[in-house]
Amino acid sequence: MIEGLNSAAAGMVAQRQKMDAVANDLANTSTTGYKQVRVGFRDLAYSQAGKASELGVRTGAGAAAVDAGRRMTQGALQRTDRPLDVAVQGEGFLQVTLADGRPALTRDGALHLDGQGRLSTGLGGLVRPPLKLPPGTPESSIGIGPDGTVTAAGRVVGRLQLVSVRSPQLMQSLGDNAFAPTAQSGPVAAAPRNTVLTQGALEASNVDVAEAMVSMIEAQRAFELASKAIHTADQMMEIANGVKR
Amino acid sequence: MLAEQTRQEQIANDLANSSTPGYKSDRTSQRSFNQLLLSNSATGAAVGPLGTAVQVSEITTDFSPQPARETGDPLDFAIQGEGFFAVGTERGVRYTRNGQFTVGANGMLATAAGNPVLARGGQTVPVGPDGRVNPATLDIVLLQGPRKEGDSLVSGTPGGAGVPGQARAGALEGSGADPARAMVDMIASMRSFEAGQRVITTIDSTLEKAANRVGSISV
Repeated sequence: MIEGLNSAAAGMVAQRQKMDAVANDLANTSTTGYKQVRVGFRDLAYSQAGKASELGVRTGAGAAAVDAGRRMTQGALQRTDRPLDVAVQGEGFLQVTLADGRPALTRDGALHLDGQGRLSTGLGGLVRPPLKLPPGTPESSIGIGPDGTVTAAGRVVGRLQLVSVRSPQLMQSLGDNAFAPTAQSGPVAAAPRNTVLTQGALEASNVDVAEAMVSMIEAQRAFELASKAIHTADQMMEIANGVKR
Repeated sequence: MLAEQTRQEQIANDLANSSTPGYKSDRTSQRSFNQLLLSNSATGAAVGPLGTAVQVSEITTDFSPQPARETGDPLDFAIQGEGFFAVGTERGVRYTRNGQFTVGANGMLATAAGNPVLARGGQTVPVGPDGRVNPATLDIVLLQGPRKEGDSLVSGTPGGAGVPGQARAGALEGSGADPARAMVDMIASMRSFEAGQRVITTIDSTLEKAANRVGSISV
């Protein structure tokens, strides 16, 4: 009985974790370059059932949520016509140095010029390697080519370098739309040739709201089902208590 | 009552896994203990068999394929038809129908737990630069005597008659746990349990009468 309670409780915990992930996805439906979190489930160990069961009869211990990385599919491109907005099309990331000095990768291409004319992301991280535009360059004269070449009034200033890692799913999520490569994800290397930048557009979040809503309802119902198992186990224990009146 | 507890545990596990991709539901079978033949001690005439109790004889798993649902995720795979994906683990090759895969540490296709998914011939499967894998390269294995091991893995002996199914990308197989059936089973199980309790209390009151009332003159 206690095992049944634990199995059901494990199922409820797993569904709550799924719900947390879906809530996070839904909160980020308008976040530039956001990638949907994938939560999977697995069943737990099976062990010999209790008394009144023959040898070899095994019951399971419930379910657990597993982190299956992120869904790295392309988000839709949104036209902004802002010269400093770039969208990455294909596999690849922009390299930035975060405000605290850590190197990171991002697909959020909403760039700005900081006080010293350096290209930076919306959250204050500088593009790496640093790219400085001549003082007084009007934003409208800045051009960014598909290969990342940055021009100011027709003159080449530098190049935004696109990089990728072997297993983007295994990168550490730093928040602020940034990821850090880890030992599992592999080192940073140049992005494939077919990865291009589109100026004047941003990559939208790849969360499908309708799908996320369905996932949320599913998680809620599965949570309820597991709670019913707990309720029934509770009733059965009450009945067992009733043996001795 | 004890047998119903085991059944209850099995149903709780099914319900906890109602959204685990590729989960296969269980079914508890019960059988009576060996019966005693009662006979009249004076005449020797047989009265009839007496069942002594019930026990869980086995828990069988329904490995039949479940409908797949579209997820659109390039690393989600569903098997249409029979068979299992082969997975390399520390304990040897294991099998699964939970096709929610990810990219492992060395750029190879892996399960969410990090075990490599195997292609025909036992090689690992590299994930292409576009983040996709051709589902036709994945090994689909038919198993004899599949047995659940937990962690969505199944052990068994490869082989068996039939045609292995085909893997499809962008979809996941649903859980085999049917919530409606599980709820009905759960209620039925609880009522059997309750009936067991009634039998105990009835026997108790009969014994109570035998112990305290036999020979008592007052009514």
